[in-house]
Amino acid sequence: MEALNFEVIKDTLGQLGGMLLYILLGIILLEIFIYVILGKIFKSKYTLPYMLMIAAIFGISLLIIYPISYEIRLAFTNMSLRHFRTYTLSWAQGLKNLKLIFTEPILKNVKFFSLLSRTLLWTGVNVVFHLAGGLGLALLLNRPMRGRGIYRALLVFPWAIPQIIAVLAWKGEFHFEYGFVNIMLRNLGMQPIQWMISPFWNFVAACITNIWLGIPFMMIIILGGLQSIPLEFYDAAEIDGASRWNQFRTITLPLLKPVLTPAIVLGIIWTFNNFNVPYMINANELESTDILVTGLFRAAFEYHRYGFSAAFAMVIFIVLFVIASVYIRMTHGLKEAYE
Amino acid sequence: MKKNNKKNSVLQFFTSRSRTDSPFKRLVIHLVLIICCFIAVYPVLRVVSVSLRPGDRLLSTSLAIIPKDASFFSYYRIIFEKPFLAWLWNSLAITITTAFIGLILASTSAYAFSRWKFPGRIPGLFFLLTTQMIPAAMLVVPIYILAVRFQLINSYRGLALAYSVSSVPFSIWILKGYYDTIPRELEEAAKIDGASQMGTFYRIILPLSTPALAIVFLFNFIMAWNDWIMARIMLQRENMFTWPLGIWTLAGQFRVEWGAFTAASILVAVPVMILFLYSSKWLISGLTLGSVKG
Amino acid sequence: MKKILSICLVLVMLLGFVAISYAKVNLILWTKEGEEALDWNKSLNEEFMKLYPDVTIEMVKKTNVEILREDFLTASLAGAPPDILWTVSDHAGPFVAAEIIEPVDDLFDLNKYVESSLNAVKLEGKYWGVPISNGNQLMLLYNKKLIAQPPKDTDELFKVGKELTSDDIYALVWNQTEPFWMVPWLGGFKGKVFAEDGITPTLNTPEMLATLKFLHAMKFDAKIIPPESDYDAADTLFKEGKAAMIINGDWSVSGYVGALGDSLGVARIPKVSATGEWPKPYTSGVYFMLSQGISGDKLKAAQDFVEFVSTMEKQLEMVKLLNRLPALKAALDDPLITEDLLLKGAADQMVVGTPMPTVLEMRCNWDSMKPEMLAVLADIKTPEEAVKDMQASVESCVKTLE
Repeated sequence: MEALNFEVIKDTLGQLGGMLLYILLGIILLEIFIYVILGKIFKSKYTLPYMLMIAAIFGISLLIIYPISYEIRLAFTNMSLRHFRTYTLSWAQGLKNLKLIFTEPILKNVKFFSLLSRTLLWTGVNVVFHLAGGLGLALLLNRPMRGRGIYRALLVFPWAIPQIIAVLAWKGEFHFEYGFVNIMLRNLGMQPIQWMISPFWNFVAACITNIWLGIPFMMIIILGGLQSIPLEFYDAAEIDGASRWNQFRTITLPLLKPVLTPAIVLGIIWTFNNFNVPYMINANELESTDILVTGLFRAAFEYHRYGFSAAFAMVIFIVLFVIASVYIRMTHGLKEAYE
Repeated sequence: MKKNNKKNSVLQFFTSRSRTDSPFKRLVIHLVLIICCFIAVYPVLRVVSVSLRPGDRLLSTSLAIIPKDASFFSYYRIIFEKPFLAWLWNSLAITITTAFIGLILASTSAYAFSRWKFPGRIPGLFFLLTTQMIPAAMLVVPIYILAVRFQLINSYRGLALAYSVSSVPFSIWILKGYYDTIPRELEEAAKIDGASQMGTFYRIILPLSTPALAIVFLFNFIMAWNDWIMARIMLQRENMFTWPLGIWTLAGQFRVEWGAFTAASILVAVPVMILFLYSSKWLISGLTLGSVKG
Repeated sequence: MKKILSICLVLVMLLGFVAISYAKVNLILWTKEGEEALDWNKSLNEEFMKLYPDVTIEMVKKTNVEILREDFLTASLAGAPPDILWTVSDHAGPFVAAEIIEPVDDLFDLNKYVESSLNAVKLEGKYWGVPISNGNQLMLLYNKKLIAQPPKDTDELFKVGKELTSDDIYALVWNQTEPFWMVPWLGGFKGKVFAEDGITPTLNTPEMLATLKFLHAMKFDAKIIPPESDYDAADTLFKEGKAAMIINGDWSVSGYVGALGDSLGVARIPKVSATGEWPKPYTSGVYFMLSQGISGDKLKAAQDFVEFVSTMEKQLEMVKLLNRLPALKAALDDPLITEDLLLKGAADQMVVGTPMPTVLEMRCNWDSMKPEMLAVLADIKTPEEAVKDMQASVESCVKTLE
């Protein structure tokens, strides 16, 4: 491959130009379609919103609907290495896959329910710390102060750094001999920990890494939300004699909610499905650090149990869906969103 | 009462306004922030030190950030001997374009979700949320098959589609949340003055949502910039590689060129950091400047 | 105006593509090589294309073998696989099971290749790959400045090792996280991971028990190896001169030559004193594999390319450039090999090696051995518990291969 030169630049620009053209044409077509159908034929008053959304919806459908349907179909097969080109596709096979998921070990030893409980623990621990850390830092930064821009830029490092690099860096820090963590422990007079071999400590290492990674994101979202709360509200409350806690409870939290709720829900979902961190911190592929999605990945790509893992993926999805729905219902989080 | 006092003082530490902050308190806050910054940055500094070590030595017993025999050879190697700049260029071009496209798609759709109660609104929101729940590993094989069938391999079309669209659900949710905090009275006032619906969108809603738009753009940028899975599926030809694919070529079966790998990683983080620093002025809202009634 | 221009551009590109594809045969080659081997691969392609102007070889680099395996499976599924692979022998198992590669018995004259090389890709009675290079075996590499003569057997290893190991230096280092480093010792204790039929895993054996006990003793009784050490740690220690000996593979030799120069020595892994046997590291190598269904012009072009790489000239070129042992029988006698100390040592080790099993079930073996080996080396499990758990793991894994 050649180094960067005019050829490459021209080539890329040409490609991008062509692509933009396709997209533009596609969007124009869609808009005309909706305008004509809804506006002229049905004379719907919702023409404008649909026109606004149609491009996004179309793209998402393409990227999501076809792959999902493929996977659903795959879940009813026994496709694997031995049954690669020809496999059985039937309701019975689907049920069989389902039964296998819940009764047999997913990989070598670990079964579905222990994977599930570990994933729940993982999600809970991470989200709680993300929120606490993000909220704390955002509150601290939400005032005029010298160096605020620098602080913000530095604190955002974990998010800005490409995740693979960051996780690799942390994996190095947990190295028994050369990692910073153990060196610190030794200097403090404690026993170095076998981060990569002990099941418990490996899980802890993954949590630490993910917490480090996830706090900046929460911080930014919350900071943005805090900034949109006018100072006058607090001034008025102070004049009325409200305590800090009351101010926090009645002004800050409710006004943060519309932004916080989606952030938390998404945080739960992303942490539940986080692949990079548990996979890569788990340098020795200990089954005890696997969560549901890493188990899924291994089943699909290391053991090549395609049919089985498609069914497994469906199950994971349903579990997550239930959890998210329950959370949303419990916190009435979307009440404001629906108004 | 006592409990409230304790909560009060903790909250007091975090939340009081600057005019009531004592210098001591300010010192403490700075100290805390400095420690947090150190924790945030230190692992990255260690990556820097690996990139400065000659001879691809990943591990070392010394904790020095700048090793004794530090050299910029790895940086030299990656920039001049490998097509690193080309990878960066490819990544930059495609990331910026798709971040903008994604932003446009999301900001318009979020507006629709925020301001109209059209049929299918609530299921639509739920659908967007559920798209985030799908384990990505599931989608790799079918997307590859789709891309092959539609000839999307080895062109930026498939990748651009994937990047533009994959951050849209999240962006819509966040933007909608922000739009919801902008009172309708503003738009109504503008309409009375004769502005059209889309006019109020451009002139009122968008400027007021700059923090949210900035966050969404940053998010889209980062997601596309760091992506490896989609790029790996879609790009086979080396001259189209984005930097994640490029960097993986440095990792052999047993021997990883750690010097070049880490040097590239550091260089790659630079545009993102610049973007962050530059965007900080956008992240400050204009909302509090008297446009909202109390 | 811009639109018209871009459409024209697209049309021109399309025409260009069409023109190319009609004039030539285009072979798509996926290679697992990186660094210098990749450069050699590239130069081979170029030379070949000059000799056969009707053929173009498009090479795609899949440097990580796991990625190559996954991608080849996915590409085959999508109906768009590459034509020819340049990859490792253990891919044969999964690819044969999925029926996505061609048997090569009738396509080439296989007699000219080293027999153990061929046996590594013999499955279900047929051969599925053409060897390019030989080896990939683990050997004992030592730093002559720290230890003048390597130990001949394990008793000597322990004795000398205890004297050598101090606060700064370890006598021996190796990658303690991969079972690939354990199997040579298993062979030395006369054990095998498969039963006679080659597909039933046998991990719960007295030989495996003896191997685990031996490794445990190496670490906790003789104390000649570091408490924890993965590939990079072992590599670093040896390069920094903090380890007298390292067990590593032929791919690492050039790196050590760079770091240690003439002080580098190569020898066989010491004989196991308890049994009097040399340890048997797994040998494999790099192979050509052909995509299932390849035919016509593409097949002819592929055959030509394989023959081209198998010529004496190219094989010796590989030996010189990459320090790898050739797959061509005749090339093994060349003075280039017999007179180079490092290569001679490597060949010496390879002779007592055993071909790596490549059946599909082997993956289960690797996966089951790994956590148990780790647990024994971390003193979390006794060797007796470990072998039992190994067998249980591997049996449940094999069941899932159905």
